[in-house]
Amino acid sequence: MSATNDNRSDDYVVDITPISLLQKIQENGRYWEELSTEYGVTNPDPPWKITLETTCDLLAADSCVKPYDEVDLDSCALPSLERRTEEDELSETIYEDVPFPERQLLALAHSMIKRGLLNENELAERMEELEKRFNSA
Amino acid sequence: MSDHEHNHGHVHKPAPMVEEVSDFEILEAAVRELAIEKGLFSAEDHRVWTEYVHTLGPLPAARLVAKAWLDPEYKKLCEEDGVEASKAVGVDWVTSPPTQFGTPSDYCNLRVLVDTPKLKHVVVCTLCSCYPRPILGQSPEWYRTPNYRRRLVRWPRQVLAEFGLQLPEDVEVRVADSNQKTRYIVMPERPEGTDGWTEDQLAEIVTRDCLIGVAVPKPGVTSNAQRPVRKAINPVHHDH
Repeated sequence: MSATNDNRSDDYVVDITPISLLQKIQENGRYWEELSTEYGVTNPDPPWKITLETTCDLLAADSCVKPYDEVDLDSCALPSLERRTEEDELSETIYEDVPFPERQLLALAHSMIKRGLLNENELAERMEELEKRFNSA
Repeated sequence: MSDHEHNHGHVHKPAPMVEEVSDFEILEAAVRELAIEKGLFSAEDHRVWTEYVHTLGPLPAARLVAKAWLDPEYKKLCEEDGVEASKAVGVDWVTSPPTQFGTPSDYCNLRVLVDTPKLKHVVVCTLCSCYPRPILGQSPEWYRTPNYRRRLVRWPRQVLAEFGLQLPEDVEVRVADSNQKTRYIVMPERPEGTDGWTEDQLAEIVTRDCLIGVAVPKPGVTSNAQRPVRKAINPVHHDH
């Protein structure tokens, strides 16, 4: 447990430099509000929203429930307060025009890439694989 | 009569579905798969936690309020010990979440804020978006926005008016700021016109927005209004 986490916020800067893969998704991806209207689906949220929430929770581990200055940073990949701070900042800057929850998803991927938890190229490759798999039926 | 035709004489069509995979759906799956492969969490933990999150919604909190309106002893328990009172509506803050793998395990301090004719409570999380999910489900978009979080604490009466809740000057407004340890729900006043109602009838009018405190229950109103999502004017700074 660290007693000095509260000092980290003093010079905490969110890296809002655009990431080209995520920019492409932002430009070309179709939002749930558009798809659900087109197909006559009444669910206000896309089916992937729950799994996205789970991913965020599991990356945050117990930082959801401990005061920030008590969080052992080694115990969680992405502390909840830092993720939410980054999401807020990204939502008001480069992802300003993206609706929720697509915005939350882009912000999460952005934070993970900037932190080195994911690599942009491997994410692009995995998306290509998944697209083929999803559309192979 | 076909299999899809029942006694009431019409044909059921299958529910519509989105027959298109969006880039966002693919991105969500790709992030999740890579995180699992890198050992950031396990596939099994993700499955178990997702199943749990799927079960959450505002109904238990609505039922807690309805029960308290009908039972003064239970109302007292709600005020004194929200965690204990939650058990009567099927929520155990300690054991309901499948927490064996280090996910939010001890956010188990629930406070029930009881409104009176002269006191109105409303809930916010100024830091991020802490919310009593085990008893109220997922937070709405507007609750997460910096605009709501910043302005509610400065101008609670005016922000509530924007939500359509005009309070007389002699009603005190009290804002509760959620945090990692303590989550809140509001117990609004039981509205007039509900004499003789059952717990089920009462629970129907205790909407999510009533439980956050930005609306009050009204007979006939059983769903949340569309809320404006406003952007913040000033950029986010974290220099404190």
